[in-house]
Amino acid sequence: MSAVDHSHAHGGQLPAEPENATLEGRNKILGFWLFLGGETVLFGTLFATFLALRGQVLDGPTEAHLYKLVTVALATFILLTSSMTSVLAIQAMHRHDTKGIQLWLGITVALGFAFLGLEVYEFFEYIHEGHVFTGSAYSSAFYTLVGFHGAHVLFGVIWISMIMAQISKKGLTVVTAPKVYVAALYWHFVDLVWVFIFTVVYLMGKVG
Amino acid sequence: MATEHHATHESTDSVKRKGNHEGPRNHFLAFGLSLLLTLLAFIAIIYQHVLETWFLLSFIVLLAILQAAIQAVFWMHLKDRGHLQQRIFILSGVLVAFTVVIMAVYWVWW
Repeated sequence: MSAVDHSHAHGGQLPAEPENATLEGRNKILGFWLFLGGETVLFGTLFATFLALRGQVLDGPTEAHLYKLVTVALATFILLTSSMTSVLAIQAMHRHDTKGIQLWLGITVALGFAFLGLEVYEFFEYIHEGHVFTGSAYSSAFYTLVGFHGAHVLFGVIWISMIMAQISKKGLTVVTAPKVYVAALYWHFVDLVWVFIFTVVYLMGKVG
Repeated sequence: MATEHHATHESTDSVKRKGNHEGPRNHFLAFGLSLLLTLLAFIAIIYQHVLETWFLLSFIVLLAILQAAIQAVFWMHLKDRGHLQQRIFILSGVLVAFTVVIMAVYWVWW
């Protein structure tokens, strides 16, 4: 099968939607949606744990005391914008604009690192204020949920960087295009989870 | 390599693409709506003293669900043709996650 697929790319004509051009590419995207379904369950259980253990802070600092809305707003804006720039990378891919893909994926990765930097800074502040992983049921649930999301962001920036390296080496083909598409899906999903984190963890923590 | 193709096949590609890709307009619209919904949620928290707690909590959760739906439909292309299996996969996950969250909240906080 791959012999036929490659001939597409090297024969000089790349289809309009290179990510959907081969059965392998389409199956990769479909399989990725199944993976995202599993990820949803995983984050769902972490949210459920967090909600069940809310407020169980022992003698640690309370949520309302810890969270800084300005930092959360900035992190939210950064991640939301990075999700938009990965959309623009896919738009560039549909124009067969390899430079555009690299530019927008590069901006996405840079914003991802900015988000991570902000989160590391935030966690250091919390530890300084006595909010540590083993502090209480609430603090363990907090770091598991938010840290797990942060680990997803870290995995995403590494993954997307490696895809950028592969694109610069092999160009945009029917083999590399599904990878770009699937990485963009992953990045949207990570941003989508953050929408619930800033709502359920941070904003709700400020209520009352 | 791809840029060469781009130059030679641009016209045929744009003809083929018509109808399948609406261009960036809807994607920017989704971005604008996401920003607006996020802003609304933060404003609601800042002015929480004028709102009832039960209303405030359901309001911001509703905003989050709405924003997630907008991004899934536009940015992740779930509205596009040929995405039935994709929808089934992700919605199965959402169903389980939703059930687990409701269960935890019901058992502990009701």
